[in-house]
Amino acid sequence: MTTGVEFLPCIVAFCCVHSAYQAADAAGRMRIPYPENIIMVHIPCAGRVDTLHILRAFENGADGVVILACHEGACHHILGNIRAKERVERANALLREIGVDGRRVEMRTCAPNDGSRFARVCHELEEKIKELGPSPLRKHA
Amino acid sequence: MDEVKIGVFICNCGDTISKSVDLLDIRARLEKLADVALVSIGHDLCSPQAQQAIRKDIIDNGINRVVIAACSPQLYGDALANLVEKAGLNRHLLSVANIREQCSWVHPDKDKATKKAMVQIRMAVDKVRLQDVVEQAEVEVYKDVLVIGGGIVGMEVAIELSNLNLRTTLIEKEANLGGRLKQFAALYPLQVTPEEMLTSRLKQVTGSENIDALTSAGLKDLSGEVGNFTAKIRKGNEEISRNFGAIILATGYETLFLDKVYGFELGDNIITQSQLEGMLKSPGEIKKIPQSVGFVFDICDEHSRISTPSTLRNALVIKERFGSEVYVLCRNLQVDGAGLEKLYQDVRNKGVIFFKFERFPKVLRENGKINIQVEDLSMAREQVMLSCDLLVVEEKVVPHQDFATLESMLNIGLGPRDFYQEDNVHLYPTSSTKSGIFFAGNCHQDLDLGRALTDASNAASEAYQLISSGKMRVEVERVVVDPDKCALCLTCLRFCPHDAIRIDYEKKTAHILDLACQGCGICAAVCPAKAIKFKDWSDDQILAELEVV
Amino acid sequence: MIIAERKPLEDIKQMIAQYKKILLVGCGTCVTVCWAGGEKEVGILASQLRLAFRRDGGELETLEATVERQCEKEMVEELKDKIQQVEAVLSLGCGAGVQTIADRFEETPVYPALNTKFVGMPEREGLWIENCGACGDCFLDRTGGICPIVRCAKGLLNGPCGGTNKGKCEVDPEKDCAWTLIYRRLEKQGRLDLMRKYYPPRNFQAVVRPGKIEAQRV
Repeated sequence: MTTGVEFLPCIVAFCCVHSAYQAADAAGRMRIPYPENIIMVHIPCAGRVDTLHILRAFENGADGVVILACHEGACHHILGNIRAKERVERANALLREIGVDGRRVEMRTCAPNDGSRFARVCHELEEKIKELGPSPLRKHA
Repeated sequence: MDEVKIGVFICNCGDTISKSVDLLDIRARLEKLADVALVSIGHDLCSPQAQQAIRKDIIDNGINRVVIAACSPQLYGDALANLVEKAGLNRHLLSVANIREQCSWVHPDKDKATKKAMVQIRMAVDKVRLQDVVEQAEVEVYKDVLVIGGGIVGMEVAIELSNLNLRTTLIEKEANLGGRLKQFAALYPLQVTPEEMLTSRLKQVTGSENIDALTSAGLKDLSGEVGNFTAKIRKGNEEISRNFGAIILATGYETLFLDKVYGFELGDNIITQSQLEGMLKSPGEIKKIPQSVGFVFDICDEHSRISTPSTLRNALVIKERFGSEVYVLCRNLQVDGAGLEKLYQDVRNKGVIFFKFERFPKVLRENGKINIQVEDLSMAREQVMLSCDLLVVEEKVVPHQDFATLESMLNIGLGPRDFYQEDNVHLYPTSSTKSGIFFAGNCHQDLDLGRALTDASNAASEAYQLISSGKMRVEVERVVVDPDKCALCLTCLRFCPHDAIRIDYEKKTAHILDLACQGCGICAAVCPAKAIKFKDWSDDQILAELEVV
Repeated sequence: MIIAERKPLEDIKQMIAQYKKILLVGCGTCVTVCWAGGEKEVGILASQLRLAFRRDGGELETLEATVERQCEKEMVEELKDKIQQVEAVLSLGCGAGVQTIADRFEETPVYPALNTKFVGMPEREGLWIENCGACGDCFLDRTGGICPIVRCAKGLLNGPCGGTNKGKCEVDPEKDCAWTLIYRRLEKQGRLDLMRKYYPPRNFQAVVRPGKIEAQRV
């Protein structure tokens, strides 16, 4: 960035308690590090996340938002992850309407025991958002 | 409302957390937060002494909301809720910040880890501040179980439940119990004949006071919810109405010959596995003993747990009974299943010859014989011509034809392969998407007999766990609908994956059935009127948590 | 039920570009049910507008409210306090709602955030189809309860056109041919004789705008 300070992206991750939340615990047990600037919001099912929650995260200054859900076909609530995907798509569209790269919102899946995948996904997300740069929707200083 | 007084209890987990998180710094910063009345750092909050101290702190300081920053709530979440309850607070007035697994264990840099732990605890504080009380209640449930399907699996379920002292109504649409097992000629790799197995199970079913087996009977209608289903059962011209706490489906499967897959039709000397089983069962039907028999499988279903054992089994029966030449042709053969490897060895040792092919063999009918041209991949890699008196083909395992009617009656879904959709294939394989309805056997997965019987026990114990005490603990109005806001748009009803929402047309509002609700929050997210509040994860709470960004 | 859909963001942004503080008003009746203007959509649009203004280097302050029925004068009265605090109102109601607020609060500009589309019904969650044209002279007694005026692409009154194809419409092969549906329905009811009757073209010139209905005192 112009200031010369390294850009540390702020990412909000909605973590489904049946998959990503447990995967994060697994990563902890295996001591696999991942970026600490990922804010993990504990949710009962990916389907709980509302489009509004995603937009609000951006209003508050997030550079990226991700819903971490169960693999397709493995949702405890059958279609919760599909619902979440629909909302991610809607949030993408709403952001594009504003003129912001829709890739800032994403949905990823992982299994509850897959700690290494959780950590890897977190690294990938950080890389991606670093490439996209700081969110143009951050509050003006 | 009383003044909110939040107590934050931080666990050092045997000094491991403070290695990467500066707990003193966190305490100093937490004490400045609004509504935080007490911040205490302790060791091993999971220990009885520490819990006693927390209880005392809560009571002495008039704390009315609790944040515990410790290990994952997956570990001690319930115990901590009990602790809060013992201190006189509602068990939902607790929020756990996971600063061990999700912070100190993964972030070695002390500054960064401290910053993250602070964020985590702040989120918990912001969340618990807005937490509503959710009471628990005990409701009476019926201790009777309805088992649909009187095959071997259904019988096994009923017997298991009967041994556990639960009363079962077993309904079977045919005139006799036993289902598909009645047709089998042998049960290899199990060392018991179908007759023996059937007789012993029948004896147990008829001898048990706890089992009411109704044959020539079917489910006509079902209403109610888990713990309190009312089933109308039709038996002949009679209609019986009974109440059940849980329902177990053991409706099995059917098979279908797919001529499109094979490119030929069934004929005198080309028969299906089930036709062969019929012939082996009633030897009078066999006019001429076949000198050579071919089997083809692994065509319709890739590695079916039903057709692999039945092919091996029937090949062995033919070899033993008639001494015929037997050829087994398959794309691949996987012997996963107890005793299957040994059965395969036995079959080979008896002289059955196996061929593995990539391209489907040519099948020609000539002078009452079946000529099969197959490329032998395992030995010489050359074309081999086999001449058989009888060719036995595999059938596709398909859902039972009663599926559609039961599906709509029970309000449960079908999965990707058109079998019943399990709740979660890995975590809850015998549970349906609807609370109180379970699956056993081949109605939800293709299973060999051994596995199907294990599945029956699993389903029985799931049902037992749920209703055996005659009571169920239930969270009362954990998810509520504001009738003033509800526009009766039916969106929640259409989106609920657990069939847990009903419309009360008198009160003009949707309402959530506490017993059936499994707490996903999809309804709260989709409600266009924002009329639905999920008290543990309300919009206000999630938005408050997001304020830390 | 009235079915509406949200206008493109660009259009809404242009309408309210000059303002710094606005009130978004949802309606708790038809447009809540069709997911266009309930409390949820009010929240999402408000958030999206704030973000859009910020993206363009500005800042927008929003208030939010949702009333039971925006087309009732009495029900929009509750907006009074909030309207006094803002420069303009963005209504997520149907056209009737927008006008009711505009009539009641004449000093404040009121803008529509939705396009009011048609009278319809949900086919499944999230999909609404037009099935009543509000023509003012209901024809359904003759057609087995299926309206050919809106559900036939050509609005034919006397049976299908030559483009009916295995029950589908030539204009849009995805859609059912309304006259095939009508035929099947009447066949089921043993009323196929109705198909033989001739109905002259209807005189839409006779429709008086604006419509007005005065019911007898109850």
